[in-house]
Amino acid sequence: MEDLKTSVKGQVLAIQDLPTLPGVLDEVTKLVENPETSTEEIANVIAKDQVLSAKVLKMVNSPIYGFPGRISSIQHGLVLLGFNVIRGIIISTSVFDMMVQAMQGLWEHSVGVATASNILARRAGFDDPEEYAVAGLLHDLGKVVTAVQLPELHETILNTAKTKNLSYYKAEKHVLGFAHDRINAWLARHWHLPGNIREAMSRHHSPHMAELYKSTACVVHLGDFMVRLFEFGNSGDDQTAYLRPEAMKELGFKMSDLERCMDELADQLLDVSDMGF
Amino acid sequence: MGMNTAEPASCFVRKQRAFLLSDDSELRDMLLSMWSREWIEFTVFDRGRGAIEYLFNDPPDLLVVDNRLPDISGAEIANLVKSENVYRQLPVVLVLDHDDMGEPWDWGSVEVDDFLVRPFSDSEARDRINLSLCRATRAMDANPLTKLPGNTSIIQKIQSLIDKEQDFALAYCDLDYFKSFNDKYGFSRGDEILMMTARVIVNTIKSFGGKGNFVGHVGGDDYVFIMSPDDVEQACQRIISTFDAIVPNFYDSSDRKLGKIVSTDRQGTVREFPIMAVSIAVVFNIDGRLEHFGEASAIAMSLKKKAKENPKSCYVLDRRS
Repeated sequence: MEDLKTSVKGQVLAIQDLPTLPGVLDEVTKLVENPETSTEEIANVIAKDQVLSAKVLKMVNSPIYGFPGRISSIQHGLVLLGFNVIRGIIISTSVFDMMVQAMQGLWEHSVGVATASNILARRAGFDDPEEYAVAGLLHDLGKVVTAVQLPELHETILNTAKTKNLSYYKAEKHVLGFAHDRINAWLARHWHLPGNIREAMSRHHSPHMAELYKSTACVVHLGDFMVRLFEFGNSGDDQTAYLRPEAMKELGFKMSDLERCMDELADQLLDVSDMGF
Repeated sequence: MGMNTAEPASCFVRKQRAFLLSDDSELRDMLLSMWSREWIEFTVFDRGRGAIEYLFNDPPDLLVVDNRLPDISGAEIANLVKSENVYRQLPVVLVLDHDDMGEPWDWGSVEVDDFLVRPFSDSEARDRINLSLCRATRAMDANPLTKLPGNTSIIQKIQSLIDKEQDFALAYCDLDYFKSFNDKYGFSRGDEILMMTARVIVNTIKSFGGKGNFVGHVGGDDYVFIMSPDDVEQACQRIISTFDAIVPNFYDSSDRKLGKIVSTDRQGTVREFPIMAVSIAVVFNIDGRLEHFGEASAIAMSLKKKAKENPKSCYVLDRRS
């Protein structure tokens, strides 16, 4: 098992080209071709795509720019990178030629969790709800990387989830001995992503274990739960969601708070589903 | 041969002074005929030892040194120059014989910037020397942290715009409470701020397009930018709003929540410092109002005092006409 972990980690971190879905890429390509476009407009589109967002944050947090781990907002990332670098990222990004349908479900799920995390953070009265949204957007990035870098293992995990009636998370543990939260932790550290995003990526299944940014991990955990309840998008299985009571407690939430957030999310998901990936 | 009608390389902002250390008359004739004395003025020494004192007292813009000097090896002279920080930026071109090229050179121990090999190709020699000079003007003055052009380039840029009587806005930016941030978090966290600020200024100025735009880093937390007078106020506003939005991310979350740094000085007094802010002072050159770089910086300094009275980020425009 240890050998498998080492080889998977090597494969995961060796990822060179993370593809995305054509919808957002086309939209953002049009935007960057127009010199009149503001960075805010570009940020709004990129914030709907987990792969492009990850690329922006990876680049702006790379040691070359001199402030690794500081930037967790797409808008700030774009301003600091500048138009030329953004164009470079967009031009060099490819699209999935297979698995498009499976990925669409995962993309919807991740935008759903981003939307939910924003709603939850505002309800909890936290500063910078946008950063919680980014954390929610990236929480399942490890699944995308697994699909790209380890397609056979990914296939096995999906089949295991189906035949053994497991959650994707449990199926990962069954096949690999660890899950995408671990893969996320490797990626986040390797890419010098800020601590709040790293913790949400690596602790959204176990928010009570989060150390420094418990609130982010708890928000994304609840966001994941809500989006699964709505069965919006697909994150790799049809299992019922589970909720850690500690996450509610961390946010100071009563059931009624969660219900209010659910109502708001129901409205906003209608807009999200119109986007079309 | 007579190539000295050729246009000088565009990076020669003024006449370049070069030393040639060689007793090879063929090399001397070639180099002297290549550029008009208006562009590169060569001083020739046929011995190495005698030239060293001249080099150290009044360093030229370029040193071409022959490895076959009769009294001392060219590599030795090159190292003598390069081992002193004061002279390090002086570009050195080493002249070698084909026979010197048998074994690979250890360029880590012979710190030259380029080399020429006999038999020479005129055009190659010309372009290697042009390139060495251009490379040196680029590299010499760049701020080591942000790689932005430094003081010499800034002054040259401003003076050349003044000389051309071109309209421009010149902005001086610096950070309030940078020192207290540095004191509390240490230099490397301070460097993160300087890198971030450079990016914010560069990208904001670039976003306005415009051909003559320029950003320089005077040093520490002092930056300069030059752009069109029409856009400068909007640029100041954008720099301020972007900087103010991003800078809290560079504080520890406890300080960010407080909105300030609390620290105790050596006397045991507790002091409070707000989150950093950016102050910008803008001087205009319109219809050739300015005559000298010094005027521009003097006006800017007095404006900056005004901007500094405000603890929040702000800009002050020189409205005199």
